[in-house]
Amino acid sequence: MAFEIDNIFKIYQMGGVEVPALRGVSLRVKKNEYIAIMGPSGSGKSTLMNIIGCLDTPTSGHYFLEGEDVSTLKDDQLAVIRNKRIGFVFQTFNLIPRSNIFHNVELPLIYSGLPASRRRKLAEEAIEKVGLSDRIKHKPNELSGGQRQRVAIARALVNNPSIILADEPTGNLDSATGAEIMTIFDQLHMSGNTIILVTHEQDIAEHAHRVVKLKDGQVESDEIVRNGRYAAQEQSA
Amino acid sequence: MRNITDTFESLKIALQAIKANKARGLLTTLGIIIGIVAVVTTMTAANGLENSFKESISVLGSDVLYVSRTPWVHSGRWFEFRNRQNLTLKEADKLKTQLKRAVAVNPVTDTRRSIKYRSRVIDDVSIVGTTDKHIVVSSGVPDYGRFLNHYDVEYKHFVCVIGSEVKKRLFDTVDPINKKMKIGRYDFRVVGVMEQQGGAGMFGGPNFDMQIYIPITSFMKAFGGRDRDFDFVVKAPSTEVLPDFEYELVGEMRKIRKLKPTDKDDFSINQMSTLVAAYNNVMGVVVMIGLLITGVSLFVGGIGVMNIMFVSVTERTREIGIRKAIGAKRRTILTQFLFESSVICLLGGLVGVIFSFGVTALINSTVMPASISIPIVIIALAISVLVGVFSGIIPAYRASRLNPIEALRYE
Ligand SMILES: Nc1ncnc2c1ncn2[C@@H]1O[C@H](COP(=O)(O)OP(=O)(O)OP(=O)(O)O)[C@@H](O)[C@H]1O
Ligand SMILES: [Mg+2]
Repeated sequence: MAFEIDNIFKIYQMGGVEVPALRGVSLRVKKNEYIAIMGPSGSGKSTLMNIIGCLDTPTSGHYFLEGEDVSTLKDDQLAVIRNKRIGFVFQTFNLIPRSNIFHNVELPLIYSGLPASRRRKLAEEAIEKVGLSDRIKHKPNELSGGQRQRVAIARALVNNPSIILADEPTGNLDSATGAEIMTIFDQLHMSGNTIILVTHEQDIAEHAHRVVKLKDGQVESDEIVRNGRYAAQEQSA
Repeated sequence: MRNITDTFESLKIALQAIKANKARGLLTTLGIIIGIVAVVTTMTAANGLENSFKESISVLGSDVLYVSRTPWVHSGRWFEFRNRQNLTLKEADKLKTQLKRAVAVNPVTDTRRSIKYRSRVIDDVSIVGTTDKHIVVSSGVPDYGRFLNHYDVEYKHFVCVIGSEVKKRLFDTVDPINKKMKIGRYDFRVVGVMEQQGGAGMFGGPNFDMQIYIPITSFMKAFGGRDRDFDFVVKAPSTEVLPDFEYELVGEMRKIRKLKPTDKDDFSINQMSTLVAAYNNVMGVVVMIGLLITGVSLFVGGIGVMNIMFVSVTERTREIGIRKAIGAKRRTILTQFLFESSVICLLGGLVGVIFSFGVTALINSTVMPASISIPIVIIALAISVLVGVFSGIIPAYRASRLNPIEALRYE
């Protein structure tokens, strides 16, 4: 079991008014699953991802990450989990503009306190996985959108996390570039990673083998998809 | 090990951030720069003052008392001393015979005259009439030639011993020994040159190197002796017995002056410690003013840096969100921004120290000998880092508490 969330609620307070973003969501995810989360805008996809990514805590309900209840952890304990066990990929890339590619990818390793030589090796490996070894000294603003997103993926996987989360990773990319990014996710999945991605696009969702649809903060449907591109690849593999 | 890596990385990140905002960083450190210049200059000046003061009063000797008509240091009570009698040579002689414990009693008097050798003239030079005992009561000794001797005094020889600076300015490279020079209208033969003693000119005291010593008897013959006021320089057997000795000296002087027990002293006893006390007062004021300027400019500078750090935190809210999202703890963010503000201030401090070297060189060439010492530099840099930490702590704390999701959403 990669993680399990159990009857999670997230309620925001907006000037005295309660805005429920999640209303009793439960989800069990096994290791090496490849899940797409879909649903209309405002249905709570990002909120759910933030909770799974330990960026946020639920108002009520429980979240077990690899068997450990993390729903009540403090700020700094969550930081350690984000650092070591979660790889987050954002729609807007979220790279540090002043730092070059290498430093961006190295940063999670700095926060986990690894020595420089080890950091160098791991960061270079991760950058190579996303095919950017020739851009290692470049700054983010010297790269295309697709390349930036690859850097973000390299950063997400550099610490060898249990789960890779991607909130609309292709949302800011054209469809050809988006497709390239998706092949990277496919490869990561094939090499054993657990991947959860939020998307609005059907053809992106087709890469996953399980699609969870949210509506108004609740799971509307949760089904295994076997006729997608993923299935085709699996058959040919 | 872990902490060292953290610290080193925080420092690197801080430097990177500062490099990205060079101009702004430098501008905000202006207050720090001024503050550091103020603190370094104050400390250096205080040091310089102290050194030249110590040097100059060491000439006076700590086991020596000066009997004078008026005290050296007093707060404008002129009327009290106005009617006092001058001290006379006769009284000096009486004191010499009555105060058996005195190692020496040396009467001195002085005036100011122009001096001349060949075509060179120096105006307004201090001419001191004294005796052969002079070198017993003071620490000055001749560098070469000899000092005044017993016969010079007894037979009113027109000979003189000149200070090292007089030698330099009047004779330059000429050997002055046995040369005739004019003091006022009179010819005096140079018999000796004093060792350099350092000046107390700054404290309104005498610059010993610019003095000329002549026999007190010749002095009176040349410049008149009637109505002249003398100082008696009295050397005690040791510094330890000085209080006792002073009591005895006052007693003998009162006898000589025939004072009734109810009369107040009509003379004053001066000593080195009086000057030290007065000097400490002056010094206290100098240091206070220096520290005030330092404090105000460091405070203003600190506020400036704090302001820029708030701006920096706000501008980089998103970056903070990113860092937190990938695992930076509160403490990591806190140290990153503390490092940043400390390094900004440290750089300001370094610039300040560099400027201070310039200011000190200026002081050195105009007012007094002064040089910046390593401890002063270290203190100054430590202060600037401290200001950095203080002005960075609130912005850094705020940054460390940011909610990662809100920070990431910040535009
Ligand atoms: N910080 C917040 N404060 C108040 N309400 C919030 C906050 N974050 C999200 N919400 C609300 O929670 C609900 C779910 O938001 P969420 O961002 O999870 O939606 P989403 O499914 O990701 O939408 P989109 O597809 O547009 O990204 C929305 O109604 C939103 O307005
Ligand atoms: Mg969203």
